[in-house]
Amino acid sequence: MTGKINIYHLYPNHLNLYGDRGNMLALCRRARWRGIEVNIVPVGPGDGINFSSCDLLFMGGGQDSDQKLVAEDLKGRSAEMRRAAEENMVIFAVCGSYQLLGSYYTTARGEKIGGLEIIDLYTEPGKGRLIGNAAISCSLWGPARTLVGFENHGGRTYLGENLQPLGKVLYGYGNNGTDKTEGAVYNNVIGTYLHGSLLPKNPWLTDHLLQKALAYRHQDITLRELDDSLEIEAHRAAFKLAKGRSR
Amino acid sequence: MEAGNNQRQNQHNKATGRRLPGLRLLGALWIGKILITLTRRLGKGGTTLPGRVALAVDPELSFKLAARLERGTLMVTGTNGKTTTASLIDGILEKAGLKCIHNQSGSNMSWGVASTLIENSSLTGRIDGDMAVMEVDEGAFPGIAAALQPRGVVVTNIFRDQLDRFGEIDSIQALIKAGLDTLPPESFQVINADDPSLASLKKNTNASRWTYGLDLELPPDRFENTGQDLKTCPVCFHKLDYTRIYFAHLGHYQCPGCNYRRPEPDVKLTDLKEGASGTSRIRVSLPDQILQLEVPLLGIYNLYNVLAAVTCARALDISSQIISSALKEATPSFGRMERFEKEGREIVMALVKNPVGANEVLRTVLNRTGQINLVVAINDRIADGTDVSWLWDVDFEQLSAVKDRFPAVIASGLRAWDMAVRFKYAGFEPGQVLVEENTGRAIERALEQTAPGGRLFILPTYTAMLEMRGHLNKMGLGSPYWEES
Repeated sequence: MTGKINIYHLYPNHLNLYGDRGNMLALCRRARWRGIEVNIVPVGPGDGINFSSCDLLFMGGGQDSDQKLVAEDLKGRSAEMRRAAEENMVIFAVCGSYQLLGSYYTTARGEKIGGLEIIDLYTEPGKGRLIGNAAISCSLWGPARTLVGFENHGGRTYLGENLQPLGKVLYGYGNNGTDKTEGAVYNNVIGTYLHGSLLPKNPWLTDHLLQKALAYRHQDITLRELDDSLEIEAHRAAFKLAKGRSR
Repeated sequence: MEAGNNQRQNQHNKATGRRLPGLRLLGALWIGKILITLTRRLGKGGTTLPGRVALAVDPELSFKLAARLERGTLMVTGTNGKTTTASLIDGILEKAGLKCIHNQSGSNMSWGVASTLIENSSLTGRIDGDMAVMEVDEGAFPGIAAALQPRGVVVTNIFRDQLDRFGEIDSIQALIKAGLDTLPPESFQVINADDPSLASLKKNTNASRWTYGLDLELPPDRFENTGQDLKTCPVCFHKLDYTRIYFAHLGHYQCPGCNYRRPEPDVKLTDLKEGASGTSRIRVSLPDQILQLEVPLLGIYNLYNVLAAVTCARALDISSQIISSALKEATPSFGRMERFEKEGREIVMALVKNPVGANEVLRTVLNRTGQINLVVAINDRIADGTDVSWLWDVDFEQLSAVKDRFPAVIASGLRAWDMAVRFKYAGFEPGQVLVEENTGRAIERALEQTAPGGRLFILPTYTAMLEMRGHLNKMGLGSPYWEES
């Protein structure tokens, strides 16, 4: 084996909505197919686990009730997570936990939940849910590439002035349905509303996360190319759906 | 026999039922009937458009027609098991000598209920039945319950299903509650006590409530990690403690935070023995007696359906002899493990629509011996659920763990490529995964690969099932679903 990545899965019993298992599977498989060892550490509320050995932290989606539950526990972890984010640890957060990365999140019932304050964004409730296939264009790391997924969120997320979105909305709603931004990126922290699951259909992003996770502990490994013909077809089909069904 | 006293229904009938139908109702009824005939001529099931148009003409059509039923309407709602439960109840009522109207093709939105009522009414608005058993979609439940004022409602469970339509589980629960709150005081509710999110629903009306649950020692469910949606306390959001888990979040639970716990069910399944010929022998304990039943259905999820039907029959005061002989003759419902045969090949079609149901289906597939040819057909139309993320929560890994038993797995439907990727990441060899988006050609290819004596499993989502059933019919297998009754 060459290379090893420690993936920490935060609250797998509470934040596991919308096929988050697919994101974990994609990360693990694509690392292992290249002979890179993957060690998965599930982290539950109240577990005395710190992130000192973590290379990549994955946080999935949750319902309002679950989100409230973990928000309490997260308070105790926020300082450590902020520090890790500054030190370029990889954090990948989808939907509900993307909202928790910001300064606050107001639920549909009007309850304000404090966030981790890792990135400069906040989330307000809106009228109706933003649901459907979506495609965005991302040009943060080289030439523009597309990401395809499915979004389903009631919250509207607004980014601070200096925060970069993950991409520009081509089809769908994105962060708030108005400003054409989707997701957010700060250092190696990536948050997004897209699931579907996101990573299996967007192998380039999966590889980007793995590459950054390796680099975090100075493992100088270039990921070799894989045969992604099925993934690319699935990406293409989903892109077409997002395009065909957009408003 | 059904001895339930039905004063309210009778008064109701005097008030509305015996009256001559108004012109608006007649107009709606006739248009609906004409459209049903036309859509059938075109080879469609005729369960959507006629109801929609008729309801546009007379929005109270369903209420007015249902009010003419002497023994009222029963509704079955919940995520999984609606169709099977409704058809088991239907079978029991028929055995009790009642003529039942039943929307059995799985058309469970308001227009499907309307179409079913139209179809079973004469041109003068006389309804041909004593009672209706309606399977009702969770999202449509509050509206239909308020409109039809049912005599009884059965709620099976709440699982993660079609979240793209309902938002999240919190809101499915709110929908169920809203529907139950509209029930008339003389009505009854039948609720799964093993589902914490259902048992916690406060009763806001004077309707009586019956609960049912399992009381069995079973080995723990190994797919536990895929359906954890509701393992938090619905009252205080603390994590629930379970002493028994039957599947997903169904089991014996207790909240360490607020002491909310599973209510002791009125009707319990206390013993289970699986017979070799595909039957289950079960013991059901009622408040005043114990029933020994034999049912030609397998799997814990089906036993929950049986229990729900028995509880409902019990609430209607139907005798245990009738219940027992009706259940003995039960058959799998539309698309739920239907069997076909083609030149010595066995074809089994089983609907998949959410992780929990799909896992149970996969478990059943693996219980069969020998080589298995498999087609999984995923559509993402509204009736299927437009979000296919749930595929990643299905434990396809249990198939790839024995991948030598699968000569090939075929991914089909509008989201065939998503399914192909799912197979790949589950651990199938890329060469084992075939993609054929067209569902008809997928069946043809699968049959080519299945030798006589072999077995083919087809696992479609709802609209893919309708398509594939059509293809099988064209091959001379089975009959169009609207011809079944």
